[in-house]
Amino acid sequence: MTYRIDPNLKTDLKKYGAKDWNECFHCGNCTAICPLTENNFLFPRKSIRQAQMGLKQKLSANLDPWLCYFCGECSTTCPRNANPGEIMMTLRRYLTSVYDWTGLSKRFYTSKVWEISFIVVFFVLIVAAFGIFLPPAADIFSNPSNYIDPNSGGVLINSLVPGLSNIQFVKVIETGDLIMAAIVATLLISNILRMFYFTIIKDKSVRVPFYAYFTEAWQLIFNFVSQPKFSKCDKKSYWLGHFLLMSGYTIMFIVIVGLLPRFQIEEVKPWYNWQRILGYYATFGLLFFIVYSIIGRIRKKEIKFKFSHETDWLFLIMLGLTTITGILIHFFRIGGLPGATYILYVIHLAVLVPMIIIEVPFSKWSHLAYRPFAVYFSKLKKAWYKKQNHLEVSVAA
Amino acid sequence: MIMNDIRIGVYVCWCGTNIAKMVDVEKISEELATLPNVVIAKNYKYMCSDPGQDLIIQDIKEHKLNRVVVAACSPRIHELTFRKALEHAGLNPYMFEMANIREQVSWVHTDRTEATKKAKSLVAAAINRVNYHEALDKRKVEIDPSTLVIGGGISGMTAALELAGAGKDVFLIEKSKELGGYAARLDLTFPYFYSASQMIRPVINKVLHHEHIKVFTEAEIEEIFGYIGSYQAKIRQNGSSIELKFGNIIVATGLKPFNPSVINEYGYGRLPDVITSLEFEEMLKSGRILTKEGKIPGSVAIIHCVGSRNKNYHDYCSRTCCNTALKYANQIKSALPETHVYQLYADMRAFGKGCEELYAKTSRKNVIFMMFDQRGKLPEVRKAGENDGCNLLINFHELLSSSDVEVPVDLVVLMTAMEAHENARDIARAAGISMCGNEFYIEKHPKLDPVATTTDGVYIVGTCQSPKDIPDSVSQAKAAAARILATISKGEVEVEVTTAAVNEDICCGCQTCVKVCPYSAISYIEERNVSHVNEILCKGCGTCGSACPSGAIRCRHFTDRQILSQIEGLMEMILLEEEN
Repeated sequence: MTYRIDPNLKTDLKKYGAKDWNECFHCGNCTAICPLTENNFLFPRKSIRQAQMGLKQKLSANLDPWLCYFCGECSTTCPRNANPGEIMMTLRRYLTSVYDWTGLSKRFYTSKVWEISFIVVFFVLIVAAFGIFLPPAADIFSNPSNYIDPNSGGVLINSLVPGLSNIQFVKVIETGDLIMAAIVATLLISNILRMFYFTIIKDKSVRVPFYAYFTEAWQLIFNFVSQPKFSKCDKKSYWLGHFLLMSGYTIMFIVIVGLLPRFQIEEVKPWYNWQRILGYYATFGLLFFIVYSIIGRIRKKEIKFKFSHETDWLFLIMLGLTTITGILIHFFRIGGLPGATYILYVIHLAVLVPMIIIEVPFSKWSHLAYRPFAVYFSKLKKAWYKKQNHLEVSVAA
Repeated sequence: MIMNDIRIGVYVCWCGTNIAKMVDVEKISEELATLPNVVIAKNYKYMCSDPGQDLIIQDIKEHKLNRVVVAACSPRIHELTFRKALEHAGLNPYMFEMANIREQVSWVHTDRTEATKKAKSLVAAAINRVNYHEALDKRKVEIDPSTLVIGGGISGMTAALELAGAGKDVFLIEKSKELGGYAARLDLTFPYFYSASQMIRPVINKVLHHEHIKVFTEAEIEEIFGYIGSYQAKIRQNGSSIELKFGNIIVATGLKPFNPSVINEYGYGRLPDVITSLEFEEMLKSGRILTKEGKIPGSVAIIHCVGSRNKNYHDYCSRTCCNTALKYANQIKSALPETHVYQLYADMRAFGKGCEELYAKTSRKNVIFMMFDQRGKLPEVRKAGENDGCNLLINFHELLSSSDVEVPVDLVVLMTAMEAHENARDIARAAGISMCGNEFYIEKHPKLDPVATTTDGVYIVGTCQSPKDIPDSVSQAKAAAARILATISKGEVEVEVTTAAVNEDICCGCQTCVKVCPYSAISYIEERNVSHVNEILCKGCGTCGSACPSGAIRCRHFTDRQILSQIEGLMEMILLEEEN
């Protein structure tokens, strides 16, 4: 198989965040230090080489970037300051855009204008939708006490829209949630199929044995839940921080999308109620990660935070706004401020929706699917190598 | 030979413990004292030391010794030392023989008794030999202060200027029309991007107008004869023959670029947009980097090691190509910033002052470096199809990514190897220089005497010795000039006296010796039907002596009698030891 060289790829990849492609001269120090390297599985040098030479086809079949969690050891060890970890990060962004068939991922990564416009449009649309279809009762500001639960003193959050019962209101929001989830899932699943096509089907060097699809399937769930690859990195605190975020986010997602009628209820439960504790845990997880990342990215002390792509910042800002508005809704509600609660509720959704639509199928958060699938696909390839009895061949050869 | 007159002194050295620990030196000196003509036999801790030498000098005077044998290390190390000691005591230095009982005995054996026996036999052989030694007189040659420089490139011109600057006459022979050589055909030089022509032009002008330099362009050497101090040459210029006289020769015949059309894979000569580095230099000089169609190339591939470091062509590294290729990348990038540059290398060798820095600088300029396997399949250049969007396609296995790749390019530059000049062989014959298998000249010593040759008075500088860059060539040229100025200022040189001589009464004129002499020192005299040895050119190697079918050639200091007596001495002692 002959691969055509594309000299422009290097320049293209700069838009995805790579600083300098010229520094690496392939000494292999990064490979020696990388905890993921096994036998001849050459992290991260091989991916860098493919990028340097513009071997697009090889790169799109390469799973290595997804197996890397950016512990930064390679970048610390690099004698040329080529920052291999950052290059892997860049390749993850690039690969996300390769898998995405809509072309939007590439737009969002390479153009600030596109991404911000997209967010603004969605923000305006959602605010307008609430303003036109679900405006709050007129006297919410003059007679706030009408909208407060006399027992608990909390705001009756589902009863602020006139003409809609609290059950109907939750139904409307839930329908919106499910539509959003369906769109996001369709996009993500179609992109995963493309990832499968590029990395397994098009890679003619590998013919995956059929049984492996089943025997290795547990990898998907296991890796999604616990990120065992990440815990291989030397700094265990990275894994913990990431786990907090991931579990917090997952809980929130399940609560918001799947179980909304059970959670968004009029009654304010006591603080020790398990639902509230779960919510607090998730909020803490998100908040911890956001604060940690923002401080890290400002101080630039750790290798993984040294260079921030604009999408990194935008993601943190969006997630931060979502979390803060969520917390404020909670306090305003307990504090009995129906007007403020409702306004923040709208803002919360207007930030949350574009964030999820951009991040999950097109941007940073797509890794929630790509990473476990990459592990799964790499295991499939390994199964073939094992069958061929030549494990020394690299996983994405 | 009247044996009664001979009085031999034998000295056995301990060399500290080097010899003494494996050879019973005391026993040897004691037992050998009884051999015929041996007057005195001693052993001493360090014979080569001043007290050791004084011991010999004292004994020569006291015991009226007229022959000396020292059993110690290799004669390569201390033969001269002891010969000088003999001279000091008033003896002819050739009345001396050395037996090597260190390198040949104590260092290579483990059995002390056997080693002592062997050492004893060797010393006995030396004693037997020294009986037949003859006094030989030193010969001195006067030096003609003018010098012949062959080749008008940067090396030859530098050497000529250096000699002429000291007020000595120089004849500079150049085969082509103009001076300057290959350096004058370059655009910029690495690693500092100085213009080659701005550097070479003033040198050429200086040479052309120097009162002590006589330049012969379009001239060729027909014949050189003579020896150090008084050479003569016939040169041919514009059909007329000129005779020159001089004392020393500097050979600076330079290089010839490798012809890449023999490497089929690269398609040179077949594909118009595949050019050599020299052709690319011309492009750079003209200021227009263009394809054959006259278009600006969108991408340029530079292929390294074309003819170098490849067992099918030349094993050696041409030393300048990597740096020149880096220079090209910089020149292309500054002239055409949008053009992609690929370096297809086998190994990057950016050695030399400022060159690694050039490599580092170039590698930061979006130049794509790709490694091919010199021992495997070479990159293959072929014409691109209509839809490829480029002129040429290069296919090869890239080592660092371990993939078969295809590189679309518009122009390919081949970094051709340096070969010895096509006239190198003729000049070697004329001047008496030896060549390596690859036609580069062999220096006298690869480390300690890199500009001299085995022929006295003939020096090699620049790329005729091996591929090298301008600073190395210039250093060699100046070194050779300094060597020549040293002999000129001395006025005369001592030449070897252990030469061959022809006994004309026995010589049958078969000319076998003429053919075998590696130094062209033997000529045939037709009118007398005999061979004649030029004693100045002769190195005393003995080849002619052993080849002569009629035994007419006698090698001084290595006569048949001397060698046979040495063998006799050895055998007698071995037999004697066995009887015991």
